[in-house]
Amino acid sequence: MRNSKMLFRILVAVVALSLVLAACGPGPSTTPEAPGDATEVLTDEAPAGRSVATFIYTQEFDTLSPLYTDMWFAWTTWQLFLNWAWEYDENNEAFPVLVTEIPSIDNGGISADGMTITMQLRDDLTWSDGEPLTSDDFVFTWEMAVSPTNAVTSSYPYSEIDSVEAPDPQTVVVNFSYPFAPWLATLWHGILPAHVLRPIYEAEGTIDNADWLRNPTVGYGPYVFDEWESGSYVRFVRNENYWGEPANIDEIFIRFVPDDASQVAALQAGDADLGTFPAYSDVPTLQNAGLEIVIQPNGYNEGLFLLVSAERGHPALLDVNVRLAIAMGIDRESINRDLLLGLTRAPASFWDAMPYYNDPPVDLYPYDPEGARQLLDAAGWIDTNDDGVRDKDGVELEIDYGTNIREIRQDVQAVIQQQLAEIGIAVNLFSSDDDIFFASYGEGGPAAIGDYDLMEWSDGPLFPDPDVYYWLCDEIPTDEYPAGSNWFFLCDEELDGLIQLQASQVNPEERQQTISQINQLFHDQVYWIGLWQDPDVWIVSPRLVNVSFSGVTPLFSIAEWEMVEP
Amino acid sequence: MTRYIFRRLLQGIPLLLIISIILFALMMNMGDPVATMGGRRPPRAADYERLRRQLGLDKPIYTQYLYWLIGNDWARIDLDGDGVAETPGTRRGVLRGDFGTSIVNRGQPVLEIISERLPNTLLLMVAAEVCIILGALLVGVYSALRQYSILDHFLTTLLFIGYSMPIFFIALLSMYLFAVLFKRWGLPYLPTVGMFDPQIGKTPGQVALHMVLPVLSISLISFAAYSRYIRSTMLEVLSQDYIRTAKSKGLSRQTVVFIHALKNASLPIVTIIGLDLPLLLGGAVVTERIFAWPGMGRLFLDHVGRGDLPVVMGILMMIAVAVIVFQIITDVVYAWLDPRIRYEA
Repeated sequence: MRNSKMLFRILVAVVALSLVLAACGPGPSTTPEAPGDATEVLTDEAPAGRSVATFIYTQEFDTLSPLYTDMWFAWTTWQLFLNWAWEYDENNEAFPVLVTEIPSIDNGGISADGMTITMQLRDDLTWSDGEPLTSDDFVFTWEMAVSPTNAVTSSYPYSEIDSVEAPDPQTVVVNFSYPFAPWLATLWHGILPAHVLRPIYEAEGTIDNADWLRNPTVGYGPYVFDEWESGSYVRFVRNENYWGEPANIDEIFIRFVPDDASQVAALQAGDADLGTFPAYSDVPTLQNAGLEIVIQPNGYNEGLFLLVSAERGHPALLDVNVRLAIAMGIDRESINRDLLLGLTRAPASFWDAMPYYNDPPVDLYPYDPEGARQLLDAAGWIDTNDDGVRDKDGVELEIDYGTNIREIRQDVQAVIQQQLAEIGIAVNLFSSDDDIFFASYGEGGPAAIGDYDLMEWSDGPLFPDPDVYYWLCDEIPTDEYPAGSNWFFLCDEELDGLIQLQASQVNPEERQQTISQINQLFHDQVYWIGLWQDPDVWIVSPRLVNVSFSGVTPLFSIAEWEMVEP
Repeated sequence: MTRYIFRRLLQGIPLLLIISIILFALMMNMGDPVATMGGRRPPRAADYERLRRQLGLDKPIYTQYLYWLIGNDWARIDLDGDGVAETPGTRRGVLRGDFGTSIVNRGQPVLEIISERLPNTLLLMVAAEVCIILGALLVGVYSALRQYSILDHFLTTLLFIGYSMPIFFIALLSMYLFAVLFKRWGLPYLPTVGMFDPQIGKTPGQVALHMVLPVLSISLISFAAYSRYIRSTMLEVLSQDYIRTAKSKGLSRQTVVFIHALKNASLPIVTIIGLDLPLLLGGAVVTERIFAWPGMGRLFLDHVGRGDLPVVMGILMMIAVAVIVFQIITDVVYAWLDPRIRYEA
């Protein structure tokens, strides 16, 4: 009995201790705590009367530092504390933020040969610690992106730059090694604080382990980073040293809620003010709860990539008429209407969200099963053995269709399998986690090694830039080049030439002409079949007003948002 | 006894080594961590190759294991891809207490990541375990004393309904009922997700309030198994001769049940609890995900999905060590509770 009592006391003590530990927190508070100031730590109460907007992110970002992550949630969060040099409004149009005007050939910001871009910075830019933000910070950002000792996620586009110069504190001169067309969409997505990170780089030879990457306490946006508790939340508070108009809301509290159903419940219960990417099937529930659904095009389209390779793919897909028959055998309007509740639409073009480049606009492949059957008949694919599947020269028209794990994708796979069966094409379905599906050729990734004749994922051009590069001939993966991104093993020399040409055309009109040719070639050759526009979907509580989103820099207007009592 | 414990600890060393080799080999085939670094599109080829080199993922598996185990500060590595290994390694290896840094949370030490989450998991799981043990003791003892009574049948049915339901269903159902609907009906309601309300702050009261639903969900699942186990061991003990003797001596019912019966019935339960305790460190994967509780279960899930080998190996090795240590502790406690048991060195 005495032992039981002791055990009970120990357990109670452990629970009480854990409660206190959890409450006073592993939270990586950036403000040093005074030793012995237990009262302040234990209460940890928020000041009363503040306006706090609670966002739900369904994924936690890996880091908050520019250069070190390509996660959408991190990119989106940068608008809070690290503005881009120029951002994009609700029409996805660029507007200057850190620069006085966006460089162009007309204003002299772009040299005649398209290889030099000169930017003039605002003269009132300051970091949240009061240090001025100058051209030196831009130079440092470029240096860190291309340093071989920094394991940045992507050194592109900085790797294409020969040099970055800072002739004076407000002037940045970028020299490319060739005319670099996608500069507007890719340059200066957040600037690193040279005065914080340079001493670390000089001491350690890398900034990989710098605390600022995870706790970027010094920023220059309308908000400033306060704290990040792993797996739980990130808090931003208003930047009192902001050089622009001060933000209306006192605090932005981002909570990580990985489960879709929990996000819906939290929004319904009023425990959050903003949600992201709900399942389409949850949209009516959320609307019935008085929440607004905002759909913002972002350049991404869910689509089918076709493996066009004599060595690796199904021989039928070498014939453009078979590819066209597949496109005509899929009822994409019904997929959008029934599975996606009419909230999206089928894209005709890879550049569907960019009307300027989808001009003249290409037509949506019609849903025409009878026409598809005739095309297959004409191509010689006929069901000779009465097994319900067409064949030719002893080869069955049976194709493999792979995608990564996402509920809606599995649903669409099943629908397409059924629809293609009706025109005599058998489809084997495969799905795997992202880290397996997107693994490289060298790692034996099933998509990269040509295991699938049809591959489905959401992708697009380098939005808002129209650049594409997957289909370049020299991107076909090989044992010598296992990281190649042309997983379609397709080398169309005309397409290759046009893709290379547009990448160096800094004149927008000339580039538009080239992209239009690529667009038409894509459509005529059926290299890609769009399924639905894959926009950003936001859930907004009635407590948030004056809210607008961009498809490129979603929270571009965060400083103007306000909170009201509904 | 001391020699016995020492011998068991020594036996644990080769066991841990074998476990680490098996887990490492399995993890190496779980996916490509660099494949998901490109955000919504695959990473560019040049970045892909550079990252694999910088993160040491281009090395053969035995080299990667060796670096993980004993570090690479004795070797030089090729960071810039020029084919010349000129940069000294910095990792000290697990044997010297360095579990490396996360691939996902670039640069953050694994032990730091785990230590951020462990208190949250301990809080949730220990609270749930206390609820489970206390509740199961009450129900199990009552059911044994009132075998086949109406309440016994009722409790048994109720517990098995809870036991047979998947935890995600219980979790979501309780969240919807006690948080969403109760609020809509104007009743006192519970919070849905997280550890506290940002308007109020992270106070002990807020944390306790946010624990209610996750603890309830975990408890309901494990309650049935424990209580049935206690019921059956109590029934077995209550039919022993010494209980009849105790009753015939005129001892009170309370003394017979709680001093003579329950103490002896608790011996096998201690074994079960001892085996369960190390698993508490792993957290409750589903419950933590649904209630957005920042514990070890979610940490494991998030990082295993992105092939973050250092973090996943850190978690798994911590659990492996805990299993070995708790097994030894269970054996010791068993001997402490039952004087008949003696361990020979």
